[in-house]
Amino acid sequence: MSPAASRFLHRFGGMGFSFVLLIVLLAVNVALNPARFAPHAWGTLIGLAAPLIAAALASTPPILGGNGGIDVSVGPAMGFVNAIVVAVLINGAGIDSPFILVPVAILVGAAIGLVNGFLAAVVRIQPIVATLGTYLVLLGLTLAIVPSPTGTVPEWLRALSGQYSILPILAILAIWWGIQRFPYFHQLMATGSDQRAAYTSGVNVTAIRILAYVLGGMFAGLAGLSLSGLIGSADANVGPNFTLIAISAAALGGVSLVGGKGSLIGAMIGAIDVFLLQSALTYFNVSTFVLQVAYGLVLVLAVSFAALQERFIATRGRPS
Amino acid sequence: MKQLLAPLREHPVVGAVAIAVALYFVMASMGYASAFSIRSMLVLAALLAVASVGQTLVIIIGGIDLSIPFVIGFANVVAATLTGDGMPFWQVCLIVGTLAILIGAVSGSLSAWLKIHPLIVTLGIGTIVQGLVQLWTGGFPSGSAPAFVSQFVSIGGQIGPFGPIPVIPVPGLIPAVGLLMVAVTLLLAVTPLGRRLYALGGNPTAAPYALISPIAMWTIAFAISAFFAAVAGVLLLGFTGSAYGDVGQPYLFQTIAAVVVGGTSLMGGRGTYVGTVVGAIVLVQIRTILIGQGLDEALIQAAFGAIIIVLVSLYGREPHVRNTI
Repeated sequence: MSPAASRFLHRFGGMGFSFVLLIVLLAVNVALNPARFAPHAWGTLIGLAAPLIAAALASTPPILGGNGGIDVSVGPAMGFVNAIVVAVLINGAGIDSPFILVPVAILVGAAIGLVNGFLAAVVRIQPIVATLGTYLVLLGLTLAIVPSPTGTVPEWLRALSGQYSILPILAILAIWWGIQRFPYFHQLMATGSDQRAAYTSGVNVTAIRILAYVLGGMFAGLAGLSLSGLIGSADANVGPNFTLIAISAAALGGVSLVGGKGSLIGAMIGAIDVFLLQSALTYFNVSTFVLQVAYGLVLVLAVSFAALQERFIATRGRPS
Repeated sequence: MKQLLAPLREHPVVGAVAIAVALYFVMASMGYASAFSIRSMLVLAALLAVASVGQTLVIIIGGIDLSIPFVIGFANVVAATLTGDGMPFWQVCLIVGTLAILIGAVSGSLSAWLKIHPLIVTLGIGTIVQGLVQLWTGGFPSGSAPAFVSQFVSIGGQIGPFGPIPVIPVPGLIPAVGLLMVAVTLLLAVTPLGRRLYALGGNPTAAPYALISPIAMWTIAFAISAFFAAVAGVLLLGFTGSAYGDVGQPYLFQTIAAVVVGGTSLMGGRGTYVGTVVGAIVLVQIRTILIGQGLDEALIQAAFGAIIIVLVSLYGREPHVRNTI
């Protein structure tokens, strides 16, 4: 294998399988349902996928930070942002300017991320337990704010599930693109790969991890906006469902749950895979139970193939 | 404060026991320590403890099992349906137990063999199991448990009288979980399997050199986990009276919380089942106190989450990276 090819494999191999899956699923979907995938319907289509994609992107930075880093509160955080924005600010206080609501959503998300980061990196509670705690707190608070689905959303927010549905995802990718220009990105990956080596090289492991949770929280805030646009109301029961599926999607896209390996682009491809899979399965109009079995089966098979491929790269495609 | 908490970090079970005792006095002062409420709390804690047997073992080897609620639901519905069809109960248990062991073995071996994070594998396998069960029953399970299972877990149940031994006013489940606690503790402390589980969890790189097969250990631990989840599912069938596929859902996070509050480290290699049992008791106590405050379900959930964080921060903290070099 040529050095360039093997370097390419080593760098992007982790998400290679999910990329092939993406092409296959896209072809299947377009063949099954051309109208739904026609260019003029892209806005709506992306709007359906956007909350999941954004949730997968939000799950990724804490995982990259390693040492068991994970944020299971992403789903409830989206629900909480949805409740604050739609029920409290729009329908409660009558504020409906995007110039106030978008920053508020991002700030609320960042604050949640800061709490998670503090608990995981400073108090040093195992991240899955710490974020499970915030999961329950956020879910409880959201249910207290909106006991039952309520409220309406202004036109611009509704457009986030239509013609502007790509904006939250672009915003996340733009922030991450900026982050990658800074040393922070490499310090995060180094911390995730081997925190002891990173620490002895002078990396402030604690601060790096906190910031990873804050970034994840900000992305969860944007995901919450996207979700608000899609459901068009405040609903406490929708958000939490995103947590585990988003983490699975990130893993499918080659984000190693051990840390230090993977990318946001990978997580996004994994999430699109999951969305296209659901979309194709729905087309067959089978019972939701068959859908569930097929979905679980494909998830397990997909991560298995991805792992087998990873193993192949580890033995054959080592950069020379 | 630091010195005060230092011994707790060495023996986190002591911390969990201390909290359980403290909560008991809180409850007594609030008037929740009547015989009936203690009995009902013991039953709820015992059910959680049964469901958490496997989570303890799995976390000791450094894994995590998210398929427990799905296996609980599977056992609950399948046992009810088969019993309703007139199958003898021992056959029902044999079928449900064997299938559960197979489910767990698949999750464990797949995670270990391909080195996929068990969170993803158990979630996927759990989703498949739940879908298959619903497909089989059409989403509307029927049937119920034999009367003696209900009697075994009933809050008002009792043991005896056996000849001269007077009636003991707790259901059979309570002493059974006591025996289970002794058995699991012995399994972990004195059997080769137990030592291997700790060795693998403590140092996954070194363990294979000591001829401990990670794949075998993961398969066994996850199989045990699924088996006890199935036991919990059948017991819950007796407890609630009718089959319900989602009966296990609260156990997704509660088993993890019970294990962690009981002082078992999610990093693997450390932990006890006694701790998990105490953790289960603490969780049930907290819920009881919160419900007694007249809070609504949403705020109970929020307070519950906050309390778990506070408890774990008292004695379940991880070392700083500078202390691991």
